[in-house]
Amino acid sequence: MPSARVDTAELPRTAMHRARTGPLLTALGAAGVLAFALLTPDEYNQHVLMWVALNAVLAVGLRFVLLVGETNIATGAFYGIGAYIAALCTVNFAVPFPLALLAGAVVATAVSAGFGLVTLRTKGPYFMLISFAFTEVTRLIYTRINYIGGNSGIMGVFPPQSLDPWMPALTVLLCGGLILALYLCERSDLGRVFRAIENNDAIVETVGINVVSIKLLCLVLASFAVGLAGALHAHIYNVISPGDFSYLVPVFALAYVKIGGDSHVLGAVLGAALLTLVAQALEGAGALEQILFGGAIVAAMLLLPDGLWGAGRRVLRLLLRR
Amino acid sequence: MRTLLTWAAVAALALGVSTAASTARADDDVIRFGITAPMSGAAASWGIGADWVGQQAVKWINEHGGITAGGKTYKVALTTYENGYNSADGGKAAQAMLNRDHVRFIIQGIGTAPVKALQSLSERVGALMMQDAWGKSVKGPQAPLTFTCANTPFELFGPLFDLVKRQHPDAKTVALLNPNDATGQEVEVEAVKQYKARGYTIVLSAWYERGTTEFQPIATKLAQTHADVMDLSGAPPADAGSVYKELAVQGWKGVKISSSGTGSDALVKVGGASVEDVYMGNAADFGGPTATPLQRQLNADGLKALGEPVNILDMAAWDSAMAIKAGIEKANSIDPKAVAKALPTLIFESSYGPAAFGGEATYGNPQQMLVPIIVTQIKNGQTVEIERIIPDELKQRLAKTQ
Amino acid sequence: MGLFAQLCINTLQIGAVYVLFSLGLTLVFGVMKIINFAHGQFFTLAALLIAAAMPAFTVQFGLPVWLDYLVSFVLAMIAVGLLAAVLYFIGFERYLRDLIGSFILSLGLLLLLEGVYLWLFTGSPRVVAKILPGQVSFAGGAMETQRLVICGLSLAFTVALYQFVQHSRLGKALRAVAEDREAAMLQGIRYRRTSFYGFMIGSGLAAVSGGLMAPLTPITPALGSDYLTKAFIIIIIGGLGSIPGAILGGFLIAAIESVAGYFFDLSYATIAMFALVIVFLLVRPEGMLGYAQR
Repeated sequence: MPSARVDTAELPRTAMHRARTGPLLTALGAAGVLAFALLTPDEYNQHVLMWVALNAVLAVGLRFVLLVGETNIATGAFYGIGAYIAALCTVNFAVPFPLALLAGAVVATAVSAGFGLVTLRTKGPYFMLISFAFTEVTRLIYTRINYIGGNSGIMGVFPPQSLDPWMPALTVLLCGGLILALYLCERSDLGRVFRAIENNDAIVETVGINVVSIKLLCLVLASFAVGLAGALHAHIYNVISPGDFSYLVPVFALAYVKIGGDSHVLGAVLGAALLTLVAQALEGAGALEQILFGGAIVAAMLLLPDGLWGAGRRVLRLLLRR
Repeated sequence: MRTLLTWAAVAALALGVSTAASTARADDDVIRFGITAPMSGAAASWGIGADWVGQQAVKWINEHGGITAGGKTYKVALTTYENGYNSADGGKAAQAMLNRDHVRFIIQGIGTAPVKALQSLSERVGALMMQDAWGKSVKGPQAPLTFTCANTPFELFGPLFDLVKRQHPDAKTVALLNPNDATGQEVEVEAVKQYKARGYTIVLSAWYERGTTEFQPIATKLAQTHADVMDLSGAPPADAGSVYKELAVQGWKGVKISSSGTGSDALVKVGGASVEDVYMGNAADFGGPTATPLQRQLNADGLKALGEPVNILDMAAWDSAMAIKAGIEKANSIDPKAVAKALPTLIFESSYGPAAFGGEATYGNPQQMLVPIIVTQIKNGQTVEIERIIPDELKQRLAKTQ
Repeated sequence: MGLFAQLCINTLQIGAVYVLFSLGLTLVFGVMKIINFAHGQFFTLAALLIAAAMPAFTVQFGLPVWLDYLVSFVLAMIAVGLLAAVLYFIGFERYLRDLIGSFILSLGLLLLLEGVYLWLFTGSPRVVAKILPGQVSFAGGAMETQRLVICGLSLAFTVALYQFVQHSRLGKALRAVAEDREAAMLQGIRYRRTSFYGFMIGSGLAAVSGGLMAPLTPITPALGSDYLTKAFIIIIIGGLGSIPGAILGGFLIAAIESVAGYFFDLSYATIAMFALVIVFLLVRPEGMLGYAQR
C-alpha cells in the first residue's frame, strides 16, 4: 500500500479518524503488553512473552529486507552472531550487559555489511539460496570452534541479577523499539525507495539511485535489529548452541511473516506471536506438536493467502459495512 | 465462502491453543515427575524405553499407597518431554516442564547437552533432577539438586577396559569414534585417559556429525588404521550398528567395543552379524539369571510393549522414582531441597536390590547412585553378562546397616 | 590401490542415492519454479512403508525376502503417488511460480508429515531385512552385494529418466517449460498439465530413491530431511532445473563427502560444500550445466 501523504484538512471525517486510530490502537496494545510484562508473576508467561518479542523482531527484520524484494535467509546467521558475541562478552569477558548487547548488534551489522557487499549483486532465488548457504556455513563453523563451545555451545549466559525481574519489560521495550524504528524507516522516503526497487529496480537505477547501495543499507539496518535481538536471546535462554541458529530460524520467521500477513509490520508481529504461542502450548505433546504446528502453517497458507492481517482487515471491512 | 473458511480457521486455531494451554494446570494432590529424553532419531529407543519404565514405576507407586509426606498422601504422574538430544530443544522442554507444568522431580535426563540446558534452570527453580549425562561437571557442590541415576564413564570404563585387556592381551592399538556433540566430547576425554592408563596407543580419535546417514567414509577411515580395538564410544545404537556393518564389509577384524552401548537390540537390528562379540559398558541382560525378579518382569513386559528389551537407561527411571519416593518419605516433605539432603543418607530399594548414593570422592558431593557395574558382550545376537561388580562404597554402606 | 578403490566405491554408493533424490528436486524446480521443502517426505514415506510392510508380508504370505521387497516397493510407490497427487491439487498448484509461498507451504508440510510419520511409525529406527547376502570386492575395495544391486538399479533409473527427458514428448515438454514457460505455452504445451506430470515424476523419483535406500540404512521419520540439505547443495551446483547437472552434481558431492570425509573431518567437507555453493551462486548461478535465470 503506498503511503499517501494527504492534506488531512481535506479528508472526510471517517478517513481522518482511520488515519489516527491505527497508531492509537497500536500504542494501546503496546502499552498493554508492557504492563503485562511488568505485572505478570508467572515466570513461564514472562518467558513466553520474551520469546514472542524476539521472534517478532526476527519476523520484522526479515520482512524489512523483503521490502526490497529479497528473501534474506542469512537473518539466521546475523541473529546467531549477535547471540554468540553477546554471550562471549558476558561469560568470558564480564562486559557490562548493555555493552554486550551493543557488541552483539554491532558485530552482526558489520558481518552483514560484508556479506551484503559481496552477495547483493544477485537477486531473487539466487540471493535466497546464497543466504541459506551462508547461514548453514556459519552454523557449521560454530561447531568447529572449541573456544565458543563447539557443538555444546555456551551455557550460563545471565543478565546481571539486579535486572532479573525487569528482563521481560526490558525485552518488550527494546524489541518494540526496534520494530518501531524499522517501521518508521519503512514509512519514510527511504521506504519508498525500497518499494520502488522491489517493483522495478532497473527503473530506479535510471533515476540515479545506486540500487545495490540501498539494498545494502536495508540489509544493514535489519541486521542491526536482528543482531540486537540475538544478543538478547542469549541472555534470555541462558544457553546457546549452533543448533539454535540453523536455517530453520529465518524460515520460521518467514512463516510468521506470511501467516501474519506481509502487508503490514503488525502482521509480522501477529504471526510471530501466534505461532510462538502455539508452539509453546504444544510443547510436550510429542508427535502432535509437529502435526499441529505444521498443520497450522499449511492451513494458514491454504486458507489465508494474505495472512491473518489481511483476513482481519477483510473481516473488519465486512463488519464496518453493516 | 472465503470469509467463512477464514473464520473457521481462526476459531479452530483459537480453540486449539486455549485448550492446549488450559490442560496444563498443576494439581495439588499429585506429585509431577518428569523425564527429558530424545523420543525420535538415532537415540529414540532411549527415550521411549525410559518413558515406559517410568510409567510402570509411577503405576506401581500409585497402586502401593502413593507417597506419604507431611501427613498427606500423594499420587504420582509422569510426563516425558522430547528434548531432541540437543540444548535448544532441551531448554524449551525445560521451560515447559519446570515453569509451565511445575514439575519438581525429574526422574531421568538423557543427553549431556539437553541435560545441561535443563540443569541451569532446574537448579535455579529448585527442582531435583536424576539424570544420566556423562559429563563430570554435571554433579558437584555447585549443583546440589542434580543426581546421576546410572553409572557413568568414570565408574564404567575402568572395569570394562580391564576385562578387555585380560581377554585380549595382545591388543595394543585403539581407534575411537564419537559423535560431535556434548556427550561424545565428554566420553572421549575419559576413554582416552583410561586407555592410555592401561598402555594402549590411540591411533585415531574420529568424530562424526549427528544426522550422518552414510557411514562408509568414516568406516574406511577407521578400517585403514588397522587398529586392534575399535571403540564406538558415545555413538547411539543405530549409528554404531551401521559403522560395525560397514567395517565388516571393508574387512576390518578385531576387538569391538561400544563403551556406551546400552543394549544389543538396536545394534543387532542394524549391524546384524557384524556386531557379534561387541563388548558393552552400559548394558545389562535384564532377562537373564543375574537380574532380579523385578527386572525380569519389567523386561518381559517391556519386550511385549516396546518390542525391545529394557536397558540400563530405562531401568534407571524405575530406580530414580523409587529413590525419590524414599527421599520424600524420609525427609517427610515434598520440597526438593529437603529431599536432596535426605537422599545421601538413605538406602532404598532399587530394581537391583538395596542401593544408595555416594561418589563424594570423585564429585565432591554424594550425588552418584551406586548400582552394580555390569560388563556385557553380544553373543548370538543377545546381550550376555560377563562380569558384575558391586561398587565398594555400596558394599560398605550396606555392611554398616547389617 | 585398495584405498583408492574403496573411496571410489564409497562415492558410487553414496552418489547413486543422492543423484536420484536430487533429480526429483531439480525437476520440480525447473518445471514449477518452486522449491519443495517437503521433497524428503516422499522419500521417507516410501522407506517407512517398505520397512513396515515387509515383515507383515513375510509373516502373512511366507514369500521370499526379495519378492516381499518388490511387492512392498510397488505398494509404497502407489501410496506415495497418491500423497503427491493430493498435495499437488490441494496446495502446490496454487503456488506455482511463487517461490516464497511454496517454500512456506512445503515447510508446513514437512513438519506436518514428519509429525504424522512419527505418530504412525514412532521414532525408533526401523531396519529392513537383508535382501541379498554377502559382499563383493573390486580391486581391493568392498561393498555389500545388495548395495551393488541397488546402486545398479539406481543408475538404471537415472539413465532411463535421462533418456525419457531427452527423447519423449513429455520429457521435451518438461524441458521446454523449464527453459521458457511462455514460449512453451505459445507452442501449445499445456502448462498446468505439464506441471502436474513434472511434480509427479519428481516426487516419484524421491519415492524410488527412498525405496531403494530402505534396505541400506536404519529408517526414521527424519530420514528425508537429512538428505534434503545435501540435495539442495547438489542442485545448486549442478544447476537449478538441469538434469545432467543434478547427476554430475550428485556424484561430485558424493566424491567430496567420500574423500574429504576420509582425509578430514566430515563437517569440514560440509562447510566446503556450502562455500562452493556460495561461490557458484555468485560467479555462475546457473550452476555447472543449468540455464541462466537472470
